[in-house]
Amino acid sequence: MIVEPAHRPGGAPGAGPRSERPEVSVGTDPVPRPVAAVVPDAVPPTVRLLSPGPDELLRANKAHWARRRRLERQLHDGASLRISALALRIGVMRHRIAQASPDLDDTIDELQEQLHAVLQELRDVAGRIYPTLLDEAGLGPALREAADRSEAVIRVVAPEGRFDPAAEGAAYFAVSDVLSGLGAAYRDVTITVTAEDGALVVVLDEVPVDAGGRMLDEVAGLGGTIDVTGGTGVGTITARIPCA
Amino acid sequence: MRVALAEDGALFREGLLMLLQATGHDIVGATADGDSLLDLLATEPCDVAILDIRMPPEPDGGLITAERLRAKYPDMGLLFLSHYAESHYLMRILNIGTDAIGYRLKEKVGSVEVLSDTLDRIRDGEIVIEPSLAKRLVERPRGEKKGLVASLSERETDVLKLMAEGRSNNGIAGQLFVTPKAVEKHIANIFGKLGLHADTSENHRRVLAVLAFLRSQRDDD
Repeated sequence: MIVEPAHRPGGAPGAGPRSERPEVSVGTDPVPRPVAAVVPDAVPPTVRLLSPGPDELLRANKAHWARRRRLERQLHDGASLRISALALRIGVMRHRIAQASPDLDDTIDELQEQLHAVLQELRDVAGRIYPTLLDEAGLGPALREAADRSEAVIRVVAPEGRFDPAAEGAAYFAVSDVLSGLGAAYRDVTITVTAEDGALVVVLDEVPVDAGGRMLDEVAGLGGTIDVTGGTGVGTITARIPCA
Repeated sequence: MRVALAEDGALFREGLLMLLQATGHDIVGATADGDSLLDLLATEPCDVAILDIRMPPEPDGGLITAERLRAKYPDMGLLFLSHYAESHYLMRILNIGTDAIGYRLKEKVGSVEVLSDTLDRIRDGEIVIEPSLAKRLVERPRGEKKGLVASLSERETDVLKLMAEGRSNNGIAGQLFVTPKAVEKHIANIFGKLGLHADTSENHRRVLAVLAFLRSQRDDD
């Protein structure tokens, strides 16, 4: 099992590791001083870390997506599998004591229902970190599932091929956020995924174009762009995310 | 019934073995991956093979193993257990075969009765689909099918859910405490309202017709 190092909650893009450039270290002493040795006239220098450069930002963003994917797998391979096994063991117990105390059946059924409910919650959390379907099957199947959850009528056209996991993650969350806000009035939405010149391109047709700003938040960290056509109402949003 | 099992999670594998023992079925063997199961079944025949979807050979070794088993032993029943009930996997499973095949959530086969019922139905050639997935498919059909499904009566919707689980007329009748005759009448009404021409003589054809209806988009997928 992969054990994740402790990290700050809400690890949004930008909350990744900051860069520490050598030129900003103000002190002259290269050896870190122990905190306990502080004397009044030797206050440790305060150092402001510079914003990461584009390359470092990109690396941090990719690391962020890799971490999310690992967390999702850990939930699946760890807690969830353990609880599933527990549900079976309870079934065995129920069978063995059935003759002796039939009135326990309902209690045990209830326990198993509770375990199922816990698992559904874990699945939900895992899916919000990084959808299993996205990890295992790719953007097309994951977006179709997201489209099914929407009230709107949405068609998804996507190739079977896979993209970089960070690009898939950013594209998925950018699009699913738009879809979750669409009401039943949207009857003709089309999502088209293509690979173009080393980029993952997602075109959303017949959607409210003001959703473009939120999409930019998701894709900007990977050097992605958003183009909006259609003025202020319903139109087309095109997301381009560079990927190797 | 002779049953074999492949599952890479040791805890779950042990739990399932204990439960299978309690059902009284013969356990041919249990392996931690698909390739070992193929080796095992080369010498030991079985009636139903139980497969974890997400196991070696990666990433979805259960599906790959199932394709090989179906090609080599066409009569062997296949039961997929997964941590997820997703229509994407259901469609992949139905591409492997449309009879004697099942797809259920791991924690939902946790009683002797449910596990036995699932295995019996698969051995009898039926399709078995996780009820929560069947329910979701019926309640959230793709696109423009929503209106047609909404036109069904409450009882017809109940029947449609059980059909999507793969249940036979008798199975549906048993679940709803009505006669098979009444079930037939409901099914005729459902197919009429949905505009499906059904060869209702064979259960698995009917299940496929219903699933295809619920899942189809306008011009792809």
